[in-house]
Amino acid sequence: MYRSCLLAFSSAVAMFAAAPLQAQEYPVDTVTLVTHSSPGGGSDVFLRELSRYLGPILGATVVVENVTGGSGATAMANLAQSPADGSRLYATTPTFIYTSLLSNPEYSFDDLDPLVNFFIDPEVIFTAASSPYETLEDVIQHARDGRGRWGAANPASLERQSLELLKAETGVNAAVVTHEGGGDLMINVLNGTLEIGVGEIQELKGQLEAGEIRLLASLTSDRIEAYPDVPTVQEAGYDVFVRKFRGLAGPQGLPDDVIAAWERAVPEVLALQEYKAIYEANSLRAEFMPNEEYQAFITEFATETEEFLRSTGVIE
Amino acid sequence: MDTILASLPYLLEPSILIAAMIGVTWGILGGAMPGISPSITMALLLPFTYTMEPTAAIVLLASTYIGAEYGGSVPAILIRTPGTNAAAATVLDGYEMNKQGKAGLALGISLYSGFIGSMIGLALLMLLSKPLAGVALAFTPPAYFALGILGLSVIATLSGDSLVKGLIAALLGLMVATVGTDPVTGSNRFTFGSSDLLGGIEPVMIMVGLFAMSELLAQASKRDDINKIRSRPKIEFPGRHLAKRLIRPQLLGAGIGSFEGVMPGAGGTIASFMSYNEARRWSSKPDEFGKGSPEGIAAPETANNAVAETALVPLLSFGIPGSNSTAILLGGFLIHGLQPGPMLFQRSADVISGLYAGLFVAIVGMVVMGLAMLPICIWMVNRPRPYLNAFILALILSGIYSIHGSLFDVGIMLTAGLVGFFMRILRFPFLPTVLGLVLGYLVESNFRRSLVLSGDDYTVFTNDWISLGLLTVAALFIAGSIIKRAAAAWRRDERAAFSEGSEG
Repeated sequence: MYRSCLLAFSSAVAMFAAAPLQAQEYPVDTVTLVTHSSPGGGSDVFLRELSRYLGPILGATVVVENVTGGSGATAMANLAQSPADGSRLYATTPTFIYTSLLSNPEYSFDDLDPLVNFFIDPEVIFTAASSPYETLEDVIQHARDGRGRWGAANPASLERQSLELLKAETGVNAAVVTHEGGGDLMINVLNGTLEIGVGEIQELKGQLEAGEIRLLASLTSDRIEAYPDVPTVQEAGYDVFVRKFRGLAGPQGLPDDVIAAWERAVPEVLALQEYKAIYEANSLRAEFMPNEEYQAFITEFATETEEFLRSTGVIE
Repeated sequence: MDTILASLPYLLEPSILIAAMIGVTWGILGGAMPGISPSITMALLLPFTYTMEPTAAIVLLASTYIGAEYGGSVPAILIRTPGTNAAAATVLDGYEMNKQGKAGLALGISLYSGFIGSMIGLALLMLLSKPLAGVALAFTPPAYFALGILGLSVIATLSGDSLVKGLIAALLGLMVATVGTDPVTGSNRFTFGSSDLLGGIEPVMIMVGLFAMSELLAQASKRDDINKIRSRPKIEFPGRHLAKRLIRPQLLGAGIGSFEGVMPGAGGTIASFMSYNEARRWSSKPDEFGKGSPEGIAAPETANNAVAETALVPLLSFGIPGSNSTAILLGGFLIHGLQPGPMLFQRSADVISGLYAGLFVAIVGMVVMGLAMLPICIWMVNRPRPYLNAFILALILSGIYSIHGSLFDVGIMLTAGLVGFFMRILRFPFLPTVLGLVLGYLVESNFRRSLVLSGDDYTVFTNDWISLGLLTVAALFIAGSIIKRAAAAWRRDERAAFSEGSEG
């Protein structure tokens, strides 16, 4: 109830605020944001929320389309062959880099142009509330003394990468166990099979609020605003942090006016009070990157990921 | 008790009544379409729920799930093609009964058993969520591995005359299950550079190919008008005597279904196969199974309907979806800003009470809609074969295409149909293939995950008492059925030798 009121209120505000801004012309009338996530999935819910606020500011109708299949490969192929006029854009997450590197699809991230970044999803290390580990150091010490059992939701994921990095950085003996998604992982953390798991705050919320799990450290560069007591892994003395990005990419050769329109609109939408309340409640961290910075970021991210996949023998 | 009282007022809420009825009707239709799984049926509705009131939206989706689990049995009985994975076991006796002209009774038993299974599942969900959630938590990777092995031990029952052929068929399913992303390392296996194969081959495509496509091929290859089936388009519920006989398989089905429903990742398919197996083991007429036994419909249909309710236990208590269908339902919750998990019961108790009431309405609605729709279904399959077959072909082609909008999937289904056609000629059973396909990933990923956990120490499977127990039971099942088969073969030999001797 509260929420629908909030939405009604905020969309009214958005409409009101939109009037003077509509003067800004976006080259096309309708922008389709393509996601590889299925309806109701994480990226899908995020995009639909975003599109509500983005439309008026951008000066175009924003719709969301789900192009599922092939872990993003289908969506990448679809986008790479779309017109480069800003009418179709792809919602990027690290998945599109992983899929490109893992399976060499016909169209990969190289065939797309990164546009801008919106958010970083903070990744955290958590343990069961009933476990004896109070700090990250306790967990590392346990692994140093014997053998650690750490878990990540999926085999080819940033979460696993972060645990492998932590393992290499600390030089301890730990089994990094992968799962078929966050639910599987959560069960094995809750029943004590694993000492720690890695996940996004968003996914952990239910358990966190119920006090079933405890956060030990965040894998971010700075502490998370909503959880100021949780130290970063870097503070614990291990130089590991990851950036799970959420941004947009388009077909190669996006025109300059499209890029400029997005560079103007994104900081504006991120600053909207009503939208801010929603994304902060979901523990998303606004991290706008303009076009040039985002291009460099994606290139660097891809290089690091490729190194990781090679060093763990996943790809040759 | 409080839970029931809290739910009562919602039974009069029009939005919930309407959502439940629309959901269950849509679900039966979706479940009855071969190729459209319960999760796709639900996903198609998801966009409409964005603007709905939260409780009605959740009720709509959950009712669709219940309807779809029931709907899957309709084509299983009528056209020998399970509409959902979990209805595969119903094909065995359901289609046999249809061939004997008892389609009305078979559908009646399935509806009646689905109702019983759903009601027991709902009662458990409402009253025992807490202890049941504890069961789900007790299962570690070795225990899941053992559960998968126990499921595979059913192969012996499903193999029919030749155990070797059954094992070959199962192996085929297990092999297909290895295609896709490696569950532990994340690298690609047997994808041959195709991004369409990255996510693996979904069981539904193989099932539709094996059952429906190969049936169409087989009928097309026969010249004369083949075995005309004429059933009266009337639903018959079991009489008192038969209802009494069905109590045992239904209780077995409800028990196994509730257990598997609570376990994330196990799901309705294992439940229906295992309950079929158990119903046969404990039946007073085990020889009837596979030849049109009413018990062979009652057990799996009670089981897969019980799963539809109890699968909500891990979702509501932990926020953990155990299957694709419950993952869509989770999406439905998230869209409305509701976070399933321990806090849901405190923070949004009204949604939970509304959901329970909605499920109750949906289960009753399932019987009403079933009675209204089934005679039409029987009438449809009584049409002349050429029309019916053309209709089925159009139905499965569009169904498979609509899953991802991909022609590649249609190709997979057609290939499976061709393989199925030759399996028919060579008299290989299909069900072991389905079982291997569904369980292969569960067994492999948990086997390897256990070894990663233990550092390649195999005692991990015997140190976990649940794993040890399940593996022991599986070993007993396998040994038992081998001994039974050997004894039967020996008796045959002896009889043969005796008759030869008397002649000579």
